[in-house]
Amino acid sequence: MAKFTKAPAGRRAVVVAGVRTPFVKAFAEFLKLDTIALGDATVKALLQRTQIDRDVIDAIVWGGVILPGLAPNVAREIALDLKLPAHVEGHTVTRACASGLQAVTSAVAGIERGEFDVAIAGGSDSTSNAELKLPQKVVHALAPLAFGKATPKDYLGVVSQLVPLSEVLPKMPKIAERTTGQVMGESAEGMARRNEISREAQDEFAVRSHHRAAAAIASGRLRREVASVETPEGKTVTADTIVRADTSVEKLAKLRPVFAKDGTVTAGNASALTDGAAAVLLMSEEKAKQLGLTPLAFFRSWAYTGVDPADQLLLGPALAMPMALDRAGLSLADMDLVDMHEAFAAQVLSVVKMLGSDAFAKTRLGRDRAVGEIDPAKLNIFGGSVALGHPFGATGARMVMTMANELHDTGKRYALLGICAAGGLGAGAVLERA
Amino acid sequence: MSDFLLENEAARRLIQTLGLPVPVPARLRRAKGPWEERPLHDDIVAVGGTTGAAATAVLAQTLTAAGATPWLTRDDHVAVFAEPGEAFGRPAKRVDLEALPDGAKLRGLVFDATNLSDPAELHALYSFFHPLVARLSSCGRAIVIGRPPASFESAHSAAAHAALEGFVRSLAKELGRRGSTAEVLYVERGAEARLAAPLRFLLSARSAFVSGQPLTITNEVKAPKDLRWVRPLAGKVALVTGAARGIGAMTAELLSAEGAHVVCLDRPADDALVSQVARQVGGSVALVDLGTPEAPTQIVDHLRQHHGGVDVVVHNAGITRDKTLAKMKREYWDQAIEVNLGVAIRSTAALLEGTLRDEGRIVCLSSVAGLAGNLGQTNYAASKAGIAGYVRKLAKHVAGRGITINAIAPGFIETRLTAAIPVMIREAGRRLSNLGQGGLPRDVGEAIAFLSSPGAVGCNGQVLRVCGGALIGA
Repeated sequence: MAKFTKAPAGRRAVVVAGVRTPFVKAFAEFLKLDTIALGDATVKALLQRTQIDRDVIDAIVWGGVILPGLAPNVAREIALDLKLPAHVEGHTVTRACASGLQAVTSAVAGIERGEFDVAIAGGSDSTSNAELKLPQKVVHALAPLAFGKATPKDYLGVVSQLVPLSEVLPKMPKIAERTTGQVMGESAEGMARRNEISREAQDEFAVRSHHRAAAAIASGRLRREVASVETPEGKTVTADTIVRADTSVEKLAKLRPVFAKDGTVTAGNASALTDGAAAVLLMSEEKAKQLGLTPLAFFRSWAYTGVDPADQLLLGPALAMPMALDRAGLSLADMDLVDMHEAFAAQVLSVVKMLGSDAFAKTRLGRDRAVGEIDPAKLNIFGGSVALGHPFGATGARMVMTMANELHDTGKRYALLGICAAGGLGAGAVLERA
Repeated sequence: MSDFLLENEAARRLIQTLGLPVPVPARLRRAKGPWEERPLHDDIVAVGGTTGAAATAVLAQTLTAAGATPWLTRDDHVAVFAEPGEAFGRPAKRVDLEALPDGAKLRGLVFDATNLSDPAELHALYSFFHPLVARLSSCGRAIVIGRPPASFESAHSAAAHAALEGFVRSLAKELGRRGSTAEVLYVERGAEARLAAPLRFLLSARSAFVSGQPLTITNEVKAPKDLRWVRPLAGKVALVTGAARGIGAMTAELLSAEGAHVVCLDRPADDALVSQVARQVGGSVALVDLGTPEAPTQIVDHLRQHHGGVDVVVHNAGITRDKTLAKMKREYWDQAIEVNLGVAIRSTAALLEGTLRDEGRIVCLSSVAGLAGNLGQTNYAASKAGIAGYVRKLAKHVAGRGITINAIAPGFIETRLTAAIPVMIREAGRRLSNLGQGGLPRDVGEAIAFLSSPGAVGCNGQVLRVCGGALIGA
């Protein structure tokens, strides 16, 4: 347990390990595993792999987007499910698709502030287990039945309140902005149009993502970050199911646009609804030394910001990544790796284009010159969410894990992360090899 | 305060079905809520101009930042729009006026005629607007940008630029049936950057009842340090006289929505009403009887004591004492002149002695009656014409401190005052505007909020009519 009341100046949190579940298409193999069960699976695997003494863990910080209504503090539920010592507290954060990164940076902040010595941070989401939401009208109508002894007259009264039927049927969950009502794919479609990102460019990007991910899985590079998961039906899922080694620009070109008749965003160049979880083990540098664990990387900086969701919903990283670079005192040219969450190929390419735009830098960032061009050879070297899938809360932790491992393996120094999120949010972070 | 032809859907349909010779006015599109970063979000605006025109770069920056999708009609504009278009994700589309793309309706048409030098070049106006007017959406906007005719040595050039005013006044009449408006912006050389705020206002739904107007944009007042499009009045103190009801109450609401602390001033007798307004807008109350000689001193004392000064002053309080001159009593004459003109002048003079802060904004209420004359309103029209003369002259004196003074001349606005007009005259007043209807207090308030904003620095000594293009007003 952490004994600090105040962190010594300059205390650093380091990433020492990470693991994730296979990323699986929603409503498939993981149908019976809700977000807590996925969290259990990944944290359990992390504990096994690191063999860390459970008593030294101070907290779990978890990220999630679709939280279970009756147990929204997923972090604590994981600790209880895994019978971790009672003092392993937990809190759950939500920041749309940046929730996973938020969990990690919150834990890092806690360690650097002296709140924790050791924390597990990560996230999970199960789109398969999204709860259907009853309209508030039904909830209010049913309340007298739920909270008292109802007479037959009460039942009749409730029925009379439940017409017309169209107003009381459960609403299908969809990924739409609360303020604008726009579905995220429509926003991506708008960004493709407004930033002049062609269908071909999106498809090419998507194919590259699949090919790189498939190659990294085949080589074992990504496979080692994945722990197999046993489902309640007794099946063992060992590998990601969305990535397609055999896809090609020709194949993707055949897909029809989903969000606009003359659109460019297709199922092939967008990330799929995914179930999965990822977690990393974080601790103070001294603690890692004391426990004999090898630090992989630490956070040089991070930044969260927002853009108007009614404008270009997913442009946030174009502002957050430069902020993170500024806070790190580094430039894009210093980065050895850039890892961006791929909600849509159109969104990644829009952000990349704006980072390379002098005009954008001048008008939107108050800089004289563009943040910089990103060398495609450095960008998403093992693919990204388009190929691997995107369990909302897990993606951030997955990216941190993969980049931390990569910096450690290769001796490269810096990795820049970027994540877009609903609500117009953008996240950026700079990781440095420890 | 109800307009049958706007509110009764059955009547509207009946008239349209029967083809009765009664023009059915368009329901005007009005803005809701405070100023937005992008008032033209996803609006298509066509841009044209004469060769070498000077406002194109400002147009490119302003339109794309305001969220508009530009349609360009000239090859040489493409390069100008490229950079801001990229920054704001509004790539310019080059369109051929002879073969316009199908379907899309345009929200605005803007023509940069700053480089016009000879009346022969006016043909360019025809070439641009002729194919496009049919594609303008209802409640659309047409704007021509020229140079002040008096700024030219050459009479040829002066003629060409003066012609623009006649053009937009007539175009405004033609477009009014569908709720659209047309204006001309006369911009001085070197003041082009100051077009941004007027363009955002005039192209947006906030100028719903401004039609057929010339507005001059000058360099004479030094630019404010702080220019923001959202909550432009944050941290500022605004005084609104006659705030208990109508235009005054609406102005208080709109200024407060832009971030100002509004001091709502009205007669002690209207304490209850004005207090309610002040509570609603989170402002404060000043009870002053403007009919007394101490009024200016009381205003100054109040503002100094409670706020240490003031940034925006809206002289809205006014009275009518209508009678034909032959039948008018002496008090009627005196009261109207005193409250509408005398008090405004004397309190402005008092406020300028160290209470109105630098970069301040003064907006006076004139009236279309004062500009056009109105039966039974010799006193009122004299006072309101006096206001116009006052702001034109005083503008030169206050410019050095970054202060602007302008007037708004409302036309037929649906208020307590106009509801009292006999029904036949009222109907005539309503229908005699380009837009075929009366305006709302909100329309006047929006114009006042525009002139009160830091961005309106290019407007000084102007009289902006908010009359829907009418020539009768109260």
